[in-house]
Amino acid sequence: MSKTITVSSAITGKSYQYIDTGEPMRGGMKDVFFSPDKTYVVAFYRDIQDYNSRERLKKIVTQYYDAFFKKEGGEYYKNLYCWPTDMIEADRKVGLIVPTYHKNFFFKKGYATSDLIKGKEKEGKWFASAKFRNKQFALRLDESELGNWLSYFQVCVNIARGVKRLHSAGLAHSDLSYKNVLVDPVSKSAAIIDIDGLVVPGLFPPDVIGTADFIAPEVLSTKHLDIKDVNRKLPNRLTDLHALAVMIYMYLLYRHPLKGGKINDLDTERDDLLSMGEKALFIEHPTDTSNRPKIGQLNPKELPWADIMKIPYHVTGPYLKELFDQAFIKGLHHPNERPPAEMWEQALLKTTDLMQPCMNPSCEQKWYVFDNTLSPRCPFCGTRHLGTLPVLDLYYQFKPAVWKPENHRLMVYNNQYLFQWHVNRNITRNEKLTAEQKVPVGYFTFYHNKWVLVNQKLDSLKDLTEDKIIPINEMVELTDGKKLLLSKEDGGRVVTITMANK
Amino acid sequence: MRRLPVYFLLDTSGSMFGEPIQALNNALSGMVNTLRMDPQALDSLWLSIITFDREIKEVIPLTELVSFQLPEITCPQSGPTHTGKALEVLYEKVKTEVRKGSTEQKGDWKPLLFIFTDGKPSDLQLYREMIPKIKSLNFGAVVACAAGHLADDKMLKELTDTVVHLDTADSSTLKTFFKWVSDTIEQGNKSMGTQESVALPPPPAQINLVI
Repeated sequence: MSKTITVSSAITGKSYQYIDTGEPMRGGMKDVFFSPDKTYVVAFYRDIQDYNSRERLKKIVTQYYDAFFKKEGGEYYKNLYCWPTDMIEADRKVGLIVPTYHKNFFFKKGYATSDLIKGKEKEGKWFASAKFRNKQFALRLDESELGNWLSYFQVCVNIARGVKRLHSAGLAHSDLSYKNVLVDPVSKSAAIIDIDGLVVPGLFPPDVIGTADFIAPEVLSTKHLDIKDVNRKLPNRLTDLHALAVMIYMYLLYRHPLKGGKINDLDTERDDLLSMGEKALFIEHPTDTSNRPKIGQLNPKELPWADIMKIPYHVTGPYLKELFDQAFIKGLHHPNERPPAEMWEQALLKTTDLMQPCMNPSCEQKWYVFDNTLSPRCPFCGTRHLGTLPVLDLYYQFKPAVWKPENHRLMVYNNQYLFQWHVNRNITRNEKLTAEQKVPVGYFTFYHNKWVLVNQKLDSLKDLTEDKIIPINEMVELTDGKKLLLSKEDGGRVVTITMANK
Repeated sequence: MRRLPVYFLLDTSGSMFGEPIQALNNALSGMVNTLRMDPQALDSLWLSIITFDREIKEVIPLTELVSFQLPEITCPQSGPTHTGKALEVLYEKVKTEVRKGSTEQKGDWKPLLFIFTDGKPSDLQLYREMIPKIKSLNFGAVVACAAGHLADDKMLKELTDTVVHLDTADSSTLKTFFKWVSDTIEQGNKSMGTQESVALPPPPAQINLVI
């Protein structure tokens, strides 16, 4: 029988209610019950929490909560996390009050062929596995749930931002995983949940080592040591960065970066421990090819994604390729070399500037990264790009009259927008942008057989090649080799135009 | 890629006739549905069902969860419980179906075995002979479930340390039990503690776990 039970905050005494159905939702450590109005849940730890743990939880719901959300810009972060708001104690059991997830994180349709998971949580695994998007798989997700390839860039940006903010506060999540990061490619959002495992270096040690698939190699290879052994490696900021890299790789390529064909031991458990731990090796390592997936042994429902020859990781573009190299080659066994969350955020954003809509209306990915060739084609469906393609390279003023490349390129497509963060290098594209900065300053369009940039808000746009000011509400033609000054203000950039696919 | 093979050995002897077999069917289909809502299970889980009464039937050979079609499990109105013979069949199946790691190919995860019975083995000698063989297969976990007052926990204890005793084989008890079974199967996907991890989740309160 269901009963409504009232509990009260261990901090303020405030009371909360939950419905005890006798069948709680079970997490790894907690039993979870809904409040009567379903706006929050009460999550009880199954195990007795010691003094340290209770202190940690108390801090998370008070001090850290305030630091994250009660400051300027705090509202933005509320969408990135599902952060516990209060702690309760009842019958020696400790529980947390956690807001219910946003409705975007529950399937509206779920499977294409049945209602079985309609209304269930969108845990990351659904979107990290190639099976669930394969038309031949009976329990695949409905197309309306999948989004397109560009959606996952925004999803990953949000995850990277969530991790960045935690790390900038000196915290580590310690258990980033499918279950602990909800993902919605439809609204292009992500939310980090299970915040209660937060690790505060030196103050509160982690109580989990993480979830399979995301545990850093050094944590697995020292798992056998006693927890007090100085050589034992436990989750921290750097292991979060491993998990983040794995996550981004999986949401863009739908395969695991370390699960290849190499056999490290004939015993399954030991093989798995070595393959993800001490002997971990990137499946796309450029010189050591011993962990390449064996095509004949792959589940056909995971193709084409599982085939790294068909869809190699460099389809994610040059900026992300570099970070994947850093995370899975240089940094795999050298945690200090792993790219920080902010680098992922920036590389993901810069990569979206390299994207082109696929010309094939039935392409499942819809978008692809310009491959830097003179005759670009979509790597997913193979469709060639028709027509010319303007490529804008951004330069900044290093000293008077000397301009240096930003290593930032903007691919133009019809109705593509130009923003402040392209125009001025002092404006960073991140969560701190003001509403005004998010308004486009111009747009590109293919007009009367010519590529043009229409100036909407730039008060000092200048065609340097023709030495001509382009006033607001006028346009300038994009031609091969042309240079444009986007702004004469401090930080203003110059772009040079190259016409590809001529 | 690696599979997680899970074998169910289900008692369909005469004493299961009537409500118990209905309840078992109901609970099994509930369990399969629960597992089908789990993306991790859909990624690696393979299931097999073998029933035993006078005869041993491989109702479903080891099949990937996505293609698994649960048939109605039936039982005769009376007859013996050939648990030993069932273990013999299981032994051969596991030996041929579960992939061992080789230098060429990754092996499957250690298989799991769930045995459900409401009585005691009629072929006791064979049953005892099979126990060491079954143990040699190196299962990840063997869970035996004894339902009703006629089921013999002691006999099952010889096979495995984990014996769950259900007082009745009614629909709600079985449902709870199979919910716990699916929790056990899904255990590997959850966060792992920093201390040595426990293989089985705690059983629901209304079930007696004989350890």
